[in-house]
Order: sequence, then C-alpha cells, then structure tokens
Amino acid sequence: MVLREAIVLEPGRPFPDLDLPDHTGRPRRLSEVAGGDPVALVFFRGFWCPKEQRYMRALVGVQDEFEVAYARLVAVSVDSPEVQSAFRAGLGARFLFLSDAERRWLGPLGLLEADDTVHHPYRPTVLTLFPDLTVHALYRGDWYWGRATMEELRRDMRAITRAVRER
Amino acid sequence: MSAEVARGFRWLWLDGDRLSLDPDAGGRRFGADPRPFEAEPVRGAWAHVCAVCDDESARIPYDQPEVQLARADALAWWIPLLGDSLVCLTTLSLDSVHYGGAITVTRDPDRFRADPFARLFPGRVIRTDLFGEVPPPPGPVLERYAGAPWPAGSFSAPSEGDRA
Repeated sequence: MVLREAIVLEPGRPFPDLDLPDHTGRPRRLSEVAGGDPVALVFFRGFWCPKEQRYMRALVGVQDEFEVAYARLVAVSVDSPEVQSAFRAGLGARFLFLSDAERRWLGPLGLLEADDTVHHPYRPTVLTLFPDLTVHALYRGDWYWGRATMEELRRDMRAITRAVRER
Repeated sequence: MSAEVARGFRWLWLDGDRLSLDPDAGGRRFGADPRPFEAEPVRGAWAHVCAVCDDESARIPYDQPEVQLARADALAWWIPLLGDSLVCLTTLSLDSVHYGGAITVTRDPDRFRADPFARLFPGRVIRTDLFGEVPPPPGPVLERYAGAPWPAGSFSAPSEGDRA
C-alpha cells in the first residue's frame, strides 16, 4: 500500500511497512526483513554519489557487529535491483538493499532530494527502528555530517535492544 | 504446532538419497528451518543436501569460523547468484550446538557446484516435493536464535507496552 499524504518521520511515530524489491528483485516487506530485531534503515542517494560510497563502506565496516548482534541493516535507494546487486557485491556488503526505482515511497516519506533534478534520489536519511518499526531516532544526512555515525548506530542499537530484550 | 516447531526447527531425516519428515523413515536426524514445510510445496524442486547421513561424528560446532564463513558467503553471493531459482535454504542442526549440514532448494540444479556449504560436507542432489518457498534471510545476522538452525527462528516482537 502506498499512502498519498506525507508520513511524519520523528521518534515515537510508526514507520510504514515498506514493500519494495530487494537487490535480487525479490519482493520484500520491511516488517518481514526486521523479523523481530532492531533495524538501522539507511536511505541513500545512489551508487554514483561519492559521499554515499564513503558512507556505505563505513556501514560495511560495522556489518560484522550487526551479524552477531541480532540487528538488521537495510539500505534503500532509487537504483535498480541489478545496479544495487553490483554495488553491493563491490562493497562486500552482506546486508539487504531495497530498490525504489519506481520512486513509490519517495513522496509519501517526504524524502525526495529536490536539488538533484537528474536522479531524483532519496535525501540521505538514517532511521533507527524498533522491531515493530516505531522510529527510535532520525538523522538527516545533508552535508554528509548529518548522517548517523557508526557510534550513533551502536548507541541506538544498544538502546533499542535494551528496551526490547531486557525485561 | 509440534514442540520442535515451537522451538524454531523441524526434524528431517536423511537416508541416502531420501529426505523425509517421517520419524519412521530411518536415516540420520537433523533439525531444519520449519518455515519451508509450512509453505505451499514447490513440486519437482531440487535440493542440494550438503550433509553426511551415515556418520554420526560428521558434525562441527556452529560457531566454528568455517561454518560462520559459509553463512556469510550465502548472504554475500550464494543467494544473489541463485536469484529467482531459490526456493529456500536451511542449515541443519544436530543439537543446540552442532552443525550437521545445509540444504539449498532451487527450481533448477545448475549452480550447485558453487554451493559454499559444500566446503563443509559433500553435496548430493535430490529431487524433492517437500519444500515451499521462504524469503531468504536478509542479513547481516549470522547468529542463531536460541540454538535454532540458521536462518530459522527469531525473538518474539515485543508490543509497545513491553518497552522499558
């Protein structure tokens, strides 16, 4: 389902259950991907952007921690699944990429980077989500420095994990 | 729901070239991801079974690096390589600690020679109607949930009221 009105992205609000193909073209739902674990959801412009290439390499650097810590890492862009698959392989990433090549969620999420009239990409944005897709934190990635640092991701994963596991 | 499904796995018996969910079928018993057996079976699928059925000593602790690396390879390139052909995959547990093998089920057997799990135990190709389609693990989680055979299992999702 695609909502017509913009969705409010802020801590404590529900994040929509995105339905998008993954980097192999297989249909996915974000709730299925989360599978009951905390999620770091990264919207990035695309493979062509040098800032994104740098940031994605940083994420690959922490995937070893995510893979042993019961937390999910998901990257979303407007690249096609084929392009994402090649980019993912080049990075050595083992986490999931979701493709919004049709730009179905850009408008409802209010994440269109309006300045780029060539690619019409996602505005770089990082969200950390509870397993039920409630937003824990939001990072606007403009100017690169707005993106979540790896330490901020670790801090958020710690906070979410504590909240949902230690009870 | 059987007790093993509730614990995140389903018993599966391998006897030579025969796979069965029947406890009376004989052969070696393995724990598998229960989800493929709850989905609509894909008729005439091909299973690449990387396991040994006649040697109880053929086992490796799940946490050994070679088992971890095979799982990482599955996420990195094995699943993307199989693409739409993939029906499901599951590792096979012998108990809460030991890995006994893996099964990759596809609609055609062309790429089984690349199976990363065949590095651990030799693979054999079996035609099967047992397995249904299950979305592949999204990664990057390699750890198992409460001893279930990867990628089965999960923590139960808490409700909002459960949060600290």
